Amino acid sequence: MTGIDLAESLDVQVHAAVRSIDDPEYPGVSIVELGLLETVDISANGRVTVGLIPTFSGCPALSMIAADVKAAVAKVVGVDAVEVHWLRAPVWTANRISGEARTALADRFTVAVQLGKSAPTCPLCGSATTEQSMFGPSRCRSVNTCSTCGETVEVMRA
Amino acid sequence: MDAFETFLDGGGIVEADDDMPDDYRRAVFAFIEMHANSELMGGLTERDWIPKTPGLRHKMSVLAKTQDEIGHGHLLYMVAAAMGVKTRPQMLEDLFAGKSRFHNVFHYQAVTWGDQVAIAFLVDAAALASQQAVFKNCSYGPYRRILKRIISEEGFHMRLGEDRMMRIAEGTDVQRQLFQDSIDRWFWPALQLFGPDSKPDDKLLRWHIKSERNEVLRDRWVQKFVPMLHSYGFTIPADDLFYDEATNQWDVGPIDWEPLKKTLAQGGPDSARRITEASNNWNRTAWVREALEQASATVPA
Repeated sequence: MTGIDLAESLDVQVHAAVRSIDDPEYPGVSIVELGLLETVDISANGRVTVGLIPTFSGCPALSMIAADVKAAVAKVVGVDAVEVHWLRAPVWTANRISGEARTALADRFTVAVQLGKSAPTCPLCGSATTEQSMFGPSRCRSVNTCSTCGETVEVMRA
Repeated sequence: MDAFETFLDGGGIVEADDDMPDDYRRAVFAFIEMHANSELMGGLTERDWIPKTPGLRHKMSVLAKTQDEIGHGHLLYMVAAAMGVKTRPQMLEDLFAGKSRFHNVFHYQAVTWGDQVAIAFLVDAAALASQQAVFKNCSYGPYRRILKRIISEEGFHMRLGEDRMMRIAEGTDVQRQLFQDSIDRWFWPALQLFGPDSKPDDKLLRWHIKSERNEVLRDRWVQKFVPMLHSYGFTIPADDLFYDEATNQWDVGPIDWEPLKKTLAQGGPDSARRITEASNNWNRTAWVREALEQASATVPA
């Protein structure tokens, strides 16, 4: 294997390690699919710096996610040291959630994703939902009701 | 009812708009209402600890739990209201009037930070085990789907609780004694949360709302937490505790169910203060709800 191949392989493995970490509140949904991974820098001597962005800066799961990422990347052969940073920019939006993660959130957690201003659709029947109140469980979520089947739907929003 | 029970036994799932026997509707509703009330009462207690929590790291975890509990209550009240037995305002009125139930553990006062750690560690584990047993096989679809969300967040709380427990267990002698006192206060209420042995004709089991008997869940909790607390050098406040070499099981001895009965009749040590506090909180925050209603009415769609 050439030096370039080795570097590429390490990069792939570090990315895979980060991808193996799930959101603590959505088991089975990777933080990478949710759009939290921004940068991975690997220096020649095996020092890795992972740049993540938070869904919102006061999110209480940040230290847990960073610790999980650090532990997973440290296990990759060829990695000597890992640092995980929470970046202030860019700002996370719901548009960063991949299509795969949106499907998983809908199918497995009955959670819809709000993209832009349009009403999110019901994960059960596909109809439009309406927001119930200006109160929600947290800054990044609201609670909607499906106008057709009546399902109570949590919505992830930016 | 026979045809309905056959449907349930075959793994049938009931949706909000489906026909269902009135007894089933009422039993499921009462169960969800009690769960919703417990989330709200728990969230309010948790909130009281935000300013008193030591250190920014723990403060963030208390904030996280508070918002989650209130969020769970919000979701559960919506699912319960959709069943058409009581409206959401009626459920809240009944709660504040002391007419409806919430879990026994919220009828006690958390006095020290150690109590909060014990609650996060012991009580949350008991609540999570009960919810998982309902989720596994719950015949009422809307509740089962909401439980999936709630359980994954409670799993996150368990990690926060374990983190708090390890920190206090590795602390000074004073901190360890503080936590031992909390275990002494909270061990039995946490264990009683599972309730007395399930009756043979338990409707919740027959209708596939619960999937496991109370005594099975309770015993599983004992087998996990007794050795875990011992491993950190803490003692269990049970005089008759013994280890059965033949079965490799811990036995806590006879359980006094009187404290549980009192809490279910709103006669627990802290019931009156808790209910009054929740009611006052509702009245104090009326202006926020009014302001938001007016604001949402004026915002163009």
